[in-house]
Amino acid sequence: MRESDGSGDKMLSGGGPGAPAAFRSPLRPRDTADVADAVRDAAALGVPLRIRGAGHWLDAGRPVPASACVLDVSALRGITEYNPGDLTLTAGAGTTLAEIDEATRANGQWLPLDPAGATTATLGATLATASCGPLASALGLPRDLALGLEFVDGRGIVVRGGGRVVKNVAGFDLVRLTVGAWGTLGVITEATVRLRARPEAECTMALDAPRETGTLALLLRALREAPLTPIATELVDATFRAGNGDRGSDAVLVRLAGNAASVAAQRRHVESLGTARELPASAWDRLAAADPDGAFTVRISHRPSRVADLWHAIATATAEIEGAVRHASIERGVVRLIVPATAHEVVAPLVRCLASHASVLGERLPRAAWEALPAVTDRLSRGVRAAFDPHQILNPGLLAPMA
Amino acid sequence: MSHDALGAALAAIVGERQVLVRPSELLVYATDGLPGYRKQPGIAVFPRTRDELVQVVRLLAREGVPFVPRGAGTGLSGGALADGSVLLGLNRLTRVLSVDAENRLAVVEPGVVNVHLTRAVAPYGLHYAPDPSSQAACTIGGNVAENAGGPHCLKYGVTLNHVVALTVILPDGDIVTLGSADGERDGYDLVGCFVGSEGCFGVALDATVRLTRNPQAVRTLLADFTSMDAAARATSAIIAAGIVPAALEMMDQATIRAVEASIYAAGYPTDAAAVLLMELDGLEAGIDVDVEKLRTICLDGGARAVRIARDEGERTRLWQGRKKAFGAMGRISSHLVVQDAVIPRTRLPEVLRLIAQIGAAERLSVCNVFHAGDGNLHPNIPYNANDPDESARVHRAMRAIMRACVDAGGSVTGEHGIGLDKIDYMPRIFSPESLDAMCRLRAVFDPARRANPGKVVPVRSCREWTQAPATR
Ligand SMILES: Cc1cc2nc3c(=O)[nH]c(=O)nc-3n(C[C@H](O)[C@H](O)[C@H](O)COP(=O)(O)OP(=O)(O)OC[C@H]3O[C@@H](n4cnc5c(N)ncnc54)[C@H](O)[C@@H]3O)c2cc1C
Ligand SMILES: Cc1cc2nc3c(=O)[nH]c(=O)nc-3n(C[C@H](O)[C@H](O)[C@H](O)COP(=O)(O)OP(=O)(O)OC[C@H]3O[C@@H](n4cnc5c(N)ncnc54)[C@H](O)[C@@H]3O)c2cc1C
Repeated sequence: MRESDGSGDKMLSGGGPGAPAAFRSPLRPRDTADVADAVRDAAALGVPLRIRGAGHWLDAGRPVPASACVLDVSALRGITEYNPGDLTLTAGAGTTLAEIDEATRANGQWLPLDPAGATTATLGATLATASCGPLASALGLPRDLALGLEFVDGRGIVVRGGGRVVKNVAGFDLVRLTVGAWGTLGVITEATVRLRARPEAECTMALDAPRETGTLALLLRALREAPLTPIATELVDATFRAGNGDRGSDAVLVRLAGNAASVAAQRRHVESLGTARELPASAWDRLAAADPDGAFTVRISHRPSRVADLWHAIATATAEIEGAVRHASIERGVVRLIVPATAHEVVAPLVRCLASHASVLGERLPRAAWEALPAVTDRLSRGVRAAFDPHQILNPGLLAPMA
Repeated sequence: MSHDALGAALAAIVGERQVLVRPSELLVYATDGLPGYRKQPGIAVFPRTRDELVQVVRLLAREGVPFVPRGAGTGLSGGALADGSVLLGLNRLTRVLSVDAENRLAVVEPGVVNVHLTRAVAPYGLHYAPDPSSQAACTIGGNVAENAGGPHCLKYGVTLNHVVALTVILPDGDIVTLGSADGERDGYDLVGCFVGSEGCFGVALDATVRLTRNPQAVRTLLADFTSMDAAARATSAIIAAGIVPAALEMMDQATIRAVEASIYAAGYPTDAAAVLLMELDGLEAGIDVDVEKLRTICLDGGARAVRIARDEGERTRLWQGRKKAFGAMGRISSHLVVQDAVIPRTRLPEVLRLIAQIGAAERLSVCNVFHAGDGNLHPNIPYNANDPDESARVHRAMRAIMRACVDAGGSVTGEHGIGLDKIDYMPRIFSPESLDAMCRLRAVFDPARRANPGKVVPVRSCREWTQAPATR
């Protein structure tokens, strides 16, 4: 199998000169039945498929076969059911997060998924990659928000898991199976998600964070134990702040929420913890846009109590890399490190070094760095892959090892 | 291996007294929390340690013997019933293995009783949030297997949302670790697959669960309505208004009267057609603003009165009535079917009306006590299972109720599971292809289908099962 050079998305168009005629240019199914036909044909001919939503983040730089034919699901678009009183919404996989945001905002609701990158990202991809941002620690990971899914497995069979109601334990859980599977078990065609009411009042505070690890650990602990109900608590470094015209030390951005009285009391509490000032809510949009074009990103995670140590270790390991940015969801114990494209040759050794401290998960890496991370090879994962994509045609090279 | 030889081999691992082989001794294990089914295990074995449990599962694997895990046996779908096979009792593995208070995590053995975990972590100001009404008896292992819910799951989420990692012994004896408490990993969400797998994917040896901080402030309210309809509409209005109470439970008149006639009398108004038991929790600051909002919605929606618990004693009493409602109902007849279904929350008024009509048509009294905020219904019917005519009417009514819930866009179970009881409904809500996909998922964990055989997905739905047995 020919492999792409890891430079990513531009390589991925048709199935290449060797592919059967029907697979030489991208496929654009209009509905689930089209997707099923396409996958069935591809399975019969052994043509690998690269599923594509908006295409912002296709292979994350992984070493994937360049011979794959693009299966573009962006036309499976639109909200098919939204009853505000139920706080649930059903939409085609190609529906963008922005569209969902717009439809739900009118009713004071939202789908609280705020992954890095543009809001033109699709719902299907967001669930397939289990993408989320600072809101996840309080409002739920994609696995917690997905209620039902329709997908087409690797043999072209249309499968539905879950349902449209907020509580459901009927049958084995095909929803959790597919969320975060990176499209290797099925092409998501439609999803039902849980919405939440937007907070009545909100206020984002930037609380200066100390440089010294022990003191930082104490502050993070105090924040986690404080009488606060934030919907996001994100530690950001001075480089990120400087890039946003906000000079100063590292800081914790706390997104306080509740009713007005509650937010006012929480604000006073944050102020009592150190030097704090209010930021406009757009600070969160800037954080979501912190990855410059072509940047490499890894998540380093451990128990929340270890965040200060990780924060320090990562700072030390990246001291020489100009423009590296760190931010951390302190409640989830996840530090996200963004390295500019220019530093690509140091990423692989860096990943190896970080992996000795904690769990490292690649978001977007140069190919050599992917090879530094362990592949998913356990027995159950292999079994699941074989059961749902026996011909290994769905997104080969992602997540699970290639045949 | 013969029955006697298997019994002896098991006794060699766990000791004679931990193995039951005589039908008379096994009688108590022929039922779980659901009346109407009797399936007697051939042998019951109760390992006392993890090591014994592992040895038992490996012996069963070597001998190719099917088995059924069982926690406390409080399940309400017949999930823990073993038909002639080996019943694997987990209720002696009751240790809380570790508590990491700072990171709000606990590692527990499967037989730890739900409320015991909350008690064990109370000194840290923490609790285990999923609180099934059976929490004084049911086990964490059983909760994981059923993906159990409870009143406070409205705000805090169900079991799935609180399990971080699991150690599982697969039916073939392999031990695997699913998920991780020490950072996120790439890969399939196998924890998510195992939670709710109803004992069909293997046996949980331990579970790492998330703990929740005790709220600073709690307010418990009881709103009293003169019609079910008004209570249902108020529920929909509260959800639509964007208020997320920690709990929002409804009880109808039949339930209220059963509770008030029992030792759990909570002071519910016996002339009310329905009450809503609501709880708000969070920070002290601002909580009374939300209390006022909730009160106003209820009063505007026709509530006669809204009572706010004045102290911890009153709060406990209001909750005790709710949590013991099934028990109280159980006293008014010889048997009680506890039903479980979910509907979209905006459909509550009409579906509750339909359920009342169905009950009336079959001359049965339906008692509703349920998680209204989630749209998770429990229409329960007290009856006499020994009266064939009444039993037939109960079954007809249950089928009609399930149909009404499915037609409203709902599900046939929100927390009690499919088990044996609901297996025939599965083809009503899932296509043959989706059922087959579930069989494929199960086969990854248990290709020989020895763990809790015959549950959850009808065997005829599994294509490989009928077409190509034992090819792997
Ligand atoms: C540079 C960059 C880095 C990012 N890093 C992160 C990150 O680290 N963490 C994070 O949470 N978010 C991240 N995101 C956010 C990302 O935008 C969203 O997660 C989303 O996946 C992108 O949507 P898309 O429609 O563009 O996806 P695409 O790029 O089209 O697809 C993303 C992946 O999902 C698969 N996929 C797409 N649609 C489906 C479907 N319907 N069924 C099955 N599989 C499908 C694709 O095959 C591909 O592997 C990043 C975005 C960018 C631009
Ligand atoms: C009065 C009453 C009130 C209830 N209220 C609620 C409620 O509010 N919410 C709710 O969700 N449920 C409720 N239930 C149902 C029941 O308590 C739950 O389903 C509970 O999770 C079952 O736990 P258990 O330990 O009794 O499990 P069991 O009944 O013994 O077993 C249930 C299932 O779990 C499997 N199992 C048990 N342990 C393990 C293990 N270690 N590994 C793998 N599989 C295992 C069994 O094989 C079986 O399929 C109630 C029941 C009663 C009687």
